[in-house]
Amino acid sequence: MMRVFNRCVWSLALLICLLSMLSNFHGIGVMASHNVHLRYQTNNVDKVKQVYRTGYHFQPKKNWMNDPNAPMYYKGFYHLFYQYNPKGAVWGNIVWGHSVSKDMINWIPLEPAIVPSKPFDKYGCWSGSATILPGDKPVIIYTGIINEKPEPGHQAQSYAIPANYSDPYLRKWIKPDNNPIIKPIHENVSSFRDPTTAWFNNGHWKLIVGSKNNRRGITYLYRSRDFIKWTKAKHPFHTKKDVGMWECPDFYPISSQGTNGLDTSTLGDNVKYVFKASLDITRFDYYTIGSYNLVKDKYVPDSTSVDGWAGLRYDYGNFYASKTFFDPIKKRRILWGWANESSTRSEDIAKGWAGIQLIPRKVWLDPSGHKLLQWPINELERLRDQKIELSNVKINKGDTVEVKGINVVQADVDVTFTFSSLDKAELYDKKWENFPPEDLAKSICGIKGATVQGGLGPFGLLTLASSKLEEYTPVFFRIFKTTGKKHKVLFCSDATPSSINKNEYKPSFGGFVDVDLTTKKLSLRSLIDHSVVESFAEGGKTVISSRVYPTLAINENAHLHLFNNGSENVMVEKLNAWSMKTAHIN
Amino acid sequence: MKFSSPLTIFFLLLLLQQTLFSAMTDRQFIENTCKGTPSPDLCLEIPLANRESENANLTGLALIGLDAVQDRGFEILRQVVDLKNSQPELTPTLDICTEVYNVVVDSDVQSSREALRGGLCKFAEDGMADSAVEAQACERSFGEHGQSSPITDSNNIINDVANVVRAIIRMLL
Repeated sequence: MMRVFNRCVWSLALLICLLSMLSNFHGIGVMASHNVHLRYQTNNVDKVKQVYRTGYHFQPKKNWMNDPNAPMYYKGFYHLFYQYNPKGAVWGNIVWGHSVSKDMINWIPLEPAIVPSKPFDKYGCWSGSATILPGDKPVIIYTGIINEKPEPGHQAQSYAIPANYSDPYLRKWIKPDNNPIIKPIHENVSSFRDPTTAWFNNGHWKLIVGSKNNRRGITYLYRSRDFIKWTKAKHPFHTKKDVGMWECPDFYPISSQGTNGLDTSTLGDNVKYVFKASLDITRFDYYTIGSYNLVKDKYVPDSTSVDGWAGLRYDYGNFYASKTFFDPIKKRRILWGWANESSTRSEDIAKGWAGIQLIPRKVWLDPSGHKLLQWPINELERLRDQKIELSNVKINKGDTVEVKGINVVQADVDVTFTFSSLDKAELYDKKWENFPPEDLAKSICGIKGATVQGGLGPFGLLTLASSKLEEYTPVFFRIFKTTGKKHKVLFCSDATPSSINKNEYKPSFGGFVDVDLTTKKLSLRSLIDHSVVESFAEGGKTVISSRVYPTLAINENAHLHLFNNGSENVMVEKLNAWSMKTAHIN
Repeated sequence: MKFSSPLTIFFLLLLLQQTLFSAMTDRQFIENTCKGTPSPDLCLEIPLANRESENANLTGLALIGLDAVQDRGFEILRQVVDLKNSQPELTPTLDICTEVYNVVVDSDVQSSREALRGGLCKFAEDGMADSAVEAQACERSFGEHGQSSPITDSNNIINDVANVVRAIIRMLL
């Protein structure tokens, strides 16, 4: 009896000894925890319930947020305003929330800047934009709701100016009584909103307002000499039939050379133009590249730019109501976009918040001239903390390689995959052309998920994965052979297996990547942040953002893997992954 | 092999002692480090409030200290926003504090962090020296305007923490 007991104790002791050694290696240690006061403990929202709040994506402390409004730079600070409900986690009671920042990553929250207070915005202060007038004088033009009917509201545009130009935070704004300055007359009064930043040429300020006529998307052009009296142009600035309402239009110049942004009024050689609209029906943001006809004061998309539901999108996932501004300090065109929740309304109310902004992106023209490239602003890299590096790791078919040593729910992961041959790429099925063209990539991602074996691919990341892979959000590539030695690269961010919670909206977002495969390399960067996975393929050629709500893959129980489920072996040439510090946002 | 009971017990005791020893060494290291700073008690609160400080080396402790300065800086910036509403007569002074603390959280902390990560400890010190100066400037400006400061404690803490972190950085030189 004693012998057995001793043997058991000996083995147990050995085991404890080994474990203790291992834990010391990983820095966990066995130091007793202290209940240290005091001055260093920040206000703690109940962390147990709030597993989905982001660590470094912009969101207010609580309640509902939607469109980003009037992003701008003034006297040393970047400003972000946003549609905000101070009273609850659903849309309603809309005011303009306001925060300022030195780096668009860490923020100082302020009181709301614009709230209903006048006859011309009594029923709501909806979206709008900022224009910086000469002499560094910002002015906001926004949509005020003057009447609840006709639904969703009788809309008109009004302006607001800072109460005190010497306050760098611009906390307070005043709305002069000569508002509204742009009223709908013949236009559809309940579809007349989201005025853009104005641009100046030929002695006039010009801006556009989003609208529709039945199913025709329209942007109306308004001109003014003094920014107060606005006259509608006879013809729309741009219009397209059968697309539905154009919300949150945006129009800006883009340089055909280099990555720098341009002031919104820029004209000249080597300048192309971007026109963007949020499509109310599909809930996606689309853009075209084109030219600005100064004589007719019209935008004309290039013939190579598809204008409509099947057109190019900033982001093939959850990304809406986006808006750009020109950063005059670093000479960048910056893009903000909103992601709503994919959870249910009652879950949003229970958790007390809804809506995040995606990380601000620098936008520039691809050298081909046919599409835009985007990349998270490099200030984000300040949050990078512990780093893990991997080089030359082979992933055979069916393998997963776990990435350990970082906080995988709050991380920045940058990986380059290589492969030696395209021969095994599966055939692109011609029948897929029967899918609606605007949904083509998403449909293929839906039928060919990460567990469906392939030839070259699927390979990529399994983010926010639970221990037994009951939950995971795969972000991956799959390569197809088409006709005549050509290939198509599909990029998917698939929420389908992300959570065992049956109530969530779990779409299999996807987009094609326009890339030359002769290098036999594909790169991927994913920003993972609790309930959002924001992924950039090939340096920003195709971007997809997903909102996910795992129930098992949270905090210490989440994992991150590289995977390959294709018959062609894949090599991870290089992986850099960082834990991200939590940003100061509220 | 015959396992005898006393040997097993001895082994277990050894194991226990090793565990305690390792924990004590961590704590000892932090205590020794903090003894070399102007405010040892304040210094102890910083790493002990932070899980990552277990097994942190001197650079790690300094980085944790920088986070603490930044945290406190953002907290003051939020306090100042509230004060502008509740005590608008203090606005000119609060504007000065806004300006200096934005320098602390953005330039000072950021440059110190980058310098530490790049191994340039001499430059890392400058950021913390400046942070202490900025905190004093904010506090002093109330007096200069003939006002009583509502954020004396906060200003003093940042001044002290910045000096603590500066001392830790100097140990790296």
